[in-house]
Amino acid sequence: MRSTYRTLAYLIAAGVALQAASVALGFFTIIHEVEDGGVITAGYDYDSNLGIILHRIGGLGVIPLSAIALLVVSFFTKVPGAVRRAAAVFGLVLLQIALVFLAFMTASGGALHGLNALAVFGAAIWAGWRVSHPTVVDHGEMAALEDQATATSP
Amino acid sequence: MIDGIRERLARRRSDRVVVGVVASLAILVPLGWLWVGSLVPQTYSVMDMGYPDYGGGPGDPGHTAHALAGPVVRPGDVPVTELTGPRSSQPDVAVTLVARQESVTLATGETVEGYTLNHESPGPLIRAQQGELVEVTLVNDSIVDGVALHWHGVDLPNAEDGVAGVTQDAVVPGERHIYRFVAENPGSYWYHSHQVSHEQVRGGLFGVLVINPAEPRRDLDVVAAVHTYDELRTVNGATGESRMTAAPGEAVRVRAVNTDNAPLDVAVVGVPYRVLAVDGRELVGPNPVTGASVQIPAGGRADLGFDTPTDGSAVRVQLGTEGDTALLVGPAGAQAPSADPAEDTVDLLSYGSPAPLGFDPDDTDRRFDYSIGRRPGFLGGIPGLHWSINGHVFPDVPMFMVREGDVVRMTIENHSGEIHPMHLHGHHAVVLSRNGTSASGSPWWVDSLDVASGDTYEIAFVADNPGIWMDHCHNLPHATEGLVAHVAYTGISTPFLIGGAAHNEPE
Repeated sequence: MRSTYRTLAYLIAAGVALQAASVALGFFTIIHEVEDGGVITAGYDYDSNLGIILHRIGGLGVIPLSAIALLVVSFFTKVPGAVRRAAAVFGLVLLQIALVFLAFMTASGGALHGLNALAVFGAAIWAGWRVSHPTVVDHGEMAALEDQATATSP
Repeated sequence: MIDGIRERLARRRSDRVVVGVVASLAILVPLGWLWVGSLVPQTYSVMDMGYPDYGGGPGDPGHTAHALAGPVVRPGDVPVTELTGPRSSQPDVAVTLVARQESVTLATGETVEGYTLNHESPGPLIRAQQGELVEVTLVNDSIVDGVALHWHGVDLPNAEDGVAGVTQDAVVPGERHIYRFVAENPGSYWYHSHQVSHEQVRGGLFGVLVINPAEPRRDLDVVAAVHTYDELRTVNGATGESRMTAAPGEAVRVRAVNTDNAPLDVAVVGVPYRVLAVDGRELVGPNPVTGASVQIPAGGRADLGFDTPTDGSAVRVQLGTEGDTALLVGPAGAQAPSADPAEDTVDLLSYGSPAPLGFDPDDTDRRFDYSIGRRPGFLGGIPGLHWSINGHVFPDVPMFMVREGDVVRMTIENHSGEIHPMHLHGHHAVVLSRNGTSASGSPWWVDSLDVASGDTYEIAFVADNPGIWMDHCHNLPHATEGLVAHVAYTGISTPFLIGGAAHNEPE
């Protein structure tokens, strides 16, 4: 479960990096189309833009599903803080989707969407790193260590 | 002592597993439920889609099944196949249209991959006199997905409406289908494929239909069909500026047709103009307009009237704010004014003079809401932010049920963040109000109405054309994304299926 947890967490972080790449690809594709004299309106064929297709698959498919899987796996991962960190990733991913709604209403929501992406990235790294560094002591782990000490002492 | 601790730890471990399983199920079961609920079978009847909405009118006890279980043809129902135009009499206008999937060479020489009718895109211009019987034979030569022709804005009998899977089967390669209808209401219309329409219309499978009044008019009648092929905006199939010869001082009617998926701003530069008609219905008392454009919704039409200048110069009809697509109308070689982006837009809510509607919209039999939003969820099993109608995502959308003769009011509200050109088949509706402000100008009849995000329109129509009619967004990719509902008359059913052997896919 630990390695699954770690893999999912780093997969989400890598996914955020690809999201940044794909949205930039999509945006610059549109700039090139406009500069080449293309008439771009509400009739724009988003499915012709690889960057936008990838961003949609990542943002509404791969990353949310990975975040759900991470949360489910965290319930069975015996690492203190795993659930808390998976829940933080999950919550930030939900916020990220909510910010898409906001961005469709007002463009400035898009700026918050971009900033929150960094938070998702950070939380995912934080979660994955936790599993590889179990010696770091925090309050949850201290309690677990105390339990362990009680259990093994005669 | 140690045994007690071991037991406690074991219990705690098993508690932890139980909590984990419960928490996982609490997340996964609702998601799975939503996912399964969003799956649409390969083949289903639109009669079976979503849930009936009676709009406060009498119900239809027979119409209860909506489990996408199969065709719903009840004993006593009239099938849409019987709601045809005249079948036997001699046509006054007979046209054969051969549909092909091939390269389209634009009038200005550019080549795009798309679709043609009789090797042309736009397809042939069809003109009929009011009262004439039109017969169109559609032949599919090479379109693998099949094809069907919808007569956009023509309130014709249901069987002639040309919607694959609702009023007919898609015409497969080598087959043909005959449409017959009487040209009743003079005006500007267009025809386009309603099978895999988001691809076929974009690729050029459309043409213009003009119904001339029985009493001929004296003005110069000019068609301006605007279409964007691969980001190339054209008028009548030509990019850039096109010329139309007219004498100095000649009265001109330009029939602007928006065949794209986005709103089109049309402005006349050089002379004042009048908005003579919208969606094939003349406006009453149109006043002259200067320095303002008319916004035509996707699928909509507007007839603009003006006199060319007596000084021999030309008029520029600017088609769209982006790009240089324009129609220059005047004597050959005449100088036209340069493009001048209009600051204002004609507000059709208060344009022209009031006149009787011919029915009382307050004597309402049905009231429907068509509220467009956006919701996270699954559409056909795919997660995303999907269009919703009254809070429901396709296929769980309302079926607006009416009876012949009903006066129907519909409130269309949009809080989805994007504009939606709403198109009702088979009927014209009159706009009653926008955001609580009542219409104060000419009766504004529409078959295609742009509803911007944040706007609420109230429209009314008389249910006088029995059948099963699509009521959908004409930004055609939005229709594929589930922004589709139907108005259905009680006692009518369709034997046709979405999917099925003909692979009907109207959107």
